[in-house]
Amino acid sequence: MSPATITSQLKEKFPEAILDITEFADEKILHIKSQHILLVLTALKSAGYNFLADLTAIDNLTLGGFERFAVSYHLLCHETAERLTVKAYVSEEKPTLPSVESLWKTADWQEREVFDLYGIIFEEHPNLTRIMNPDDYEGYPLRKDYPRLGRKERDDFPVVNRGIRKKKPLE
Amino acid sequence: MNPTEIKSNILTTTLESAINWGRKNSFWPMPFGTACCGIEFMAVLAARTDLARFGAEAIRFSPRQSDLLIVAGRISIKMMPVLIRIYEQMPEPKWVISMGACASSGGVFDTYSVIQGVDQFIPVDVYVPGCPPRPEGVVEGLMKLQDLVGEEKLSDYSPASDK
Ligand code: SF4
Repeated sequence: MSPATITSQLKEKFPEAILDITEFADEKILHIKSQHILLVLTALKSAGYNFLADLTAIDNLTLGGFERFAVSYHLLCHETAERLTVKAYVSEEKPTLPSVESLWKTADWQEREVFDLYGIIFEEHPNLTRIMNPDDYEGYPLRKDYPRLGRKERDDFPVVNRGIRKKKPLE
Repeated sequence: MNPTEIKSNILTTTLESAINWGRKNSFWPMPFGTACCGIEFMAVLAARTDLARFGAEAIRFSPRQSDLLIVAGRISIKMMPVLIRIYEQMPEPKWVISMGACASSGGVFDTYSVIQGVDQFIPVDVYVPGCPPRPEGVVEGLMKLQDLVGEEKLSDYSPASDK
């Protein structure tokens, strides 16, 4: 099913879920409310968009948008090689939305990455723990209000002292 | 044995220079390659520059069997505790070469997650600049380290000098 057909079909079927449909660089983008994500993606998967090519997030802090964060799902239909992007908006106060791990196993690690870097919580995820940053890390570094140079975590390690006399520096 | 034979068969030296001679000509490097510099380090070992010519060809991937740590690549905040652990596992005497801009200063990666120079936390003997350093540069660094080791005092390692 072509992206244009499926998006207009979905708009008829779930009018309360869909915020907007836009197009960029010849590809359709479906903007939806995050609580309906499973519904919309299940419909898209059965309509032929069988492959989750990527799952990531965008911090709209300075960009404007329906909400502070957008979780974006990049879908690919293997049969027709057509692509479709779905953006689910979550708010800053309550950054939660349902996990899609039940639809695509690959979402497991990708959702953990989004959680690690943006602090977005995926409900029903089998193991929502940090995947790249250390387990005891605090904060979500890809949020736009996180300082680029961090909060001194890179300076905070024990200094190894061998108790050996300092060597002469080379000339 | 007549006196002329003794002269041509016996070499006198100090214990210190004999030990230093042995140490500096038989480094056992432990490469800590975390990025592109680690790839370049392979070229240092390959035929053209061939680190074996300097007695440092016995690459060990176990810190307990090595005496020269070569930090080749950027060190992230998650990797730094690992690097410290590995350094501490190496037996004395031990030396460290910081290979490339990233290990020495963080390089272009001035971000929250990259250590801005491993020498903040572990002692570094020789810094090799470059991104990545050419193999010749690493060889030059190793020769500089050989000079350093050659000048060491045995008392550097005695517990009495613990200051
Ligand atoms: S100094 Fe350059 S080559 Fe070496 S690890 Fe850093 S970016 Fe890679």
